[in-house]
Amino acid sequence: MTLERACDPADVPVDQALGLTIGGVDVAVARDGEEFFAVHDLCSHAHVVLSEGEVADCAIECWLHGSTFDLRSGKPTGLPATEPVATFPVEVRDDGLYVDTTTTLNGARVP
Amino acid sequence: MTLTDDVTRDSVESALEQDQGHLIVSHLNPPPSYDLADHPAPTGREEIWRFTPLKRLRGILEGERSQDCLTWDTTLPDGVTLSTITPAQAREMGELAPNDRPSALAVELAGGATLLDVPAALEAADPVVIRLSGDSVDDLVWGHLVLRVGAFAKATIVLVHTGSARYCATTSVLVGDGAEVNVVSVQDWADDAVHLGRDAIKVGRDASVRHTSVSFGGDLVRLHANVEYAGPGGEAELLGLYFADEGQHLEHRLFADHNQPKTKSNVLYKGALQGQGAHTVWIGNVLIRKVAEGIETYEENRNLVLTDGCQADSVPNLEIETGEIEGAGHASATARFDDEQLFYLRSRGLSESEARRLVLHGYFDDLIRKIGVPDLQEQLTRTVETELARNVLREDADGAPVLETTEVGS
Repeated sequence: MTLERACDPADVPVDQALGLTIGGVDVAVARDGEEFFAVHDLCSHAHVVLSEGEVADCAIECWLHGSTFDLRSGKPTGLPATEPVATFPVEVRDDGLYVDTTTTLNGARVP
Repeated sequence: MTLTDDVTRDSVESALEQDQGHLIVSHLNPPPSYDLADHPAPTGREEIWRFTPLKRLRGILEGERSQDCLTWDTTLPDGVTLSTITPAQAREMGELAPNDRPSALAVELAGGATLLDVPAALEAADPVVIRLSGDSVDDLVWGHLVLRVGAFAKATIVLVHTGSARYCATTSVLVGDGAEVNVVSVQDWADDAVHLGRDAIKVGRDASVRHTSVSFGGDLVRLHANVEYAGPGGEAELLGLYFADEGQHLEHRLFADHNQPKTKSNVLYKGALQGQGAHTVWIGNVLIRKVAEGIETYEENRNLVLTDGCQADSVPNLEIETGEIEGAGHASATARFDDEQLFYLRSRGLSESEARRLVLHGYFDDLIRKIGVPDLQEQLTRTVETELARNVLREDADGAPVLETTEVGS
């Protein structure tokens, strides 16, 4: 498990995710209040960048077809996506927000 | 005349494409052009790019100059020559202009084309074999080929791609009047290779062409096979066979442009997919222009999904501008093993794995037999067997069954 510094928690907007590349993996970092999450930045349905979509109620929405993914589990909560997106461990430290892209929390595949 | 009338007339005209009807060619396939400005860098949302994972192209579309090349190993029958020509000479020869950004970049950056010349009336007994191999996916290679077959010649041209590279190539096949040509392109790349290719064929009057694309290897392979006609009476058969494994993206895009009357085209692509993230894309299009009376066309795609976690996209299209034709049709089907076929074979005493092998064998066999290059046919049958044994029947190279791993519930 290798946590890498991703950004400052204050950089993460409330209603959108922050798209970053950490360890060669595209990650969307999002927040639900003061809780932070990191998911693979690609919709499991049609290869759309999730960080361009909206975040609300602990879910991220793909702007193209409107599938929403739960930030905690990565599971889709609305069609057309049926497969989960990978979720990554996040840790908030004093000097910033850390993400580990070498392991996925929900076992989903990072293509 | 009132404004409303003008607005109505404009919208009706644009819906019927009356204002520029003579310019509209195909709605799916953009008009060919050497100008890179006509092929803007894709965002991934365009109809012609929406199935392709652009990030996995490893930066090919940025169009960097490169001195890298593939290793060529050629077998030429007597009379067939290979030479290098300038891009300008290739244009003069009547090569087919690039129809997307990769093919335009390849012409721009290859720095010259390779010309394979089969003289008129030559009947080559042995096939022309061109083996191209790459060393590493770090190598970026631009390719520009012209395969010219003279009038009334008979030739078989086999291209085999192995090793690894980021290879982007534009190939034109110019078939003279009355010639008979068989072109086979085999993509047997290593697991990390990226291949963007465009093969375009111009069929001469009363000539017949068979083009076969066989894709097994590579991380991402996206190939165009286009055909158009230089005169009436040409026939083209476009065949394809592909086997996508875990994580592979294999994309085949077909376009038959019936721009001459009494021409024929027949497209048949068959594929199998296995493993998580195996993805195949087949986009077929046929354009029947107003002049193309009396033509006959059929396109067909079949996909056999062998395991969970695969995705097969298949979109047949037809653009018809005249109804005065012999026939036009298309078909597409994507399915897993047919339980009834397996049950029937098992009821005749075959084991489950033997039954699966037979079904897959039969599925590919009728296509392999059409290729018309005996050595290659045997080799392909063996490759299909190996893929099947390794992946579907889970046997190792020695033929001993590997223990099936059971998935732990998530």
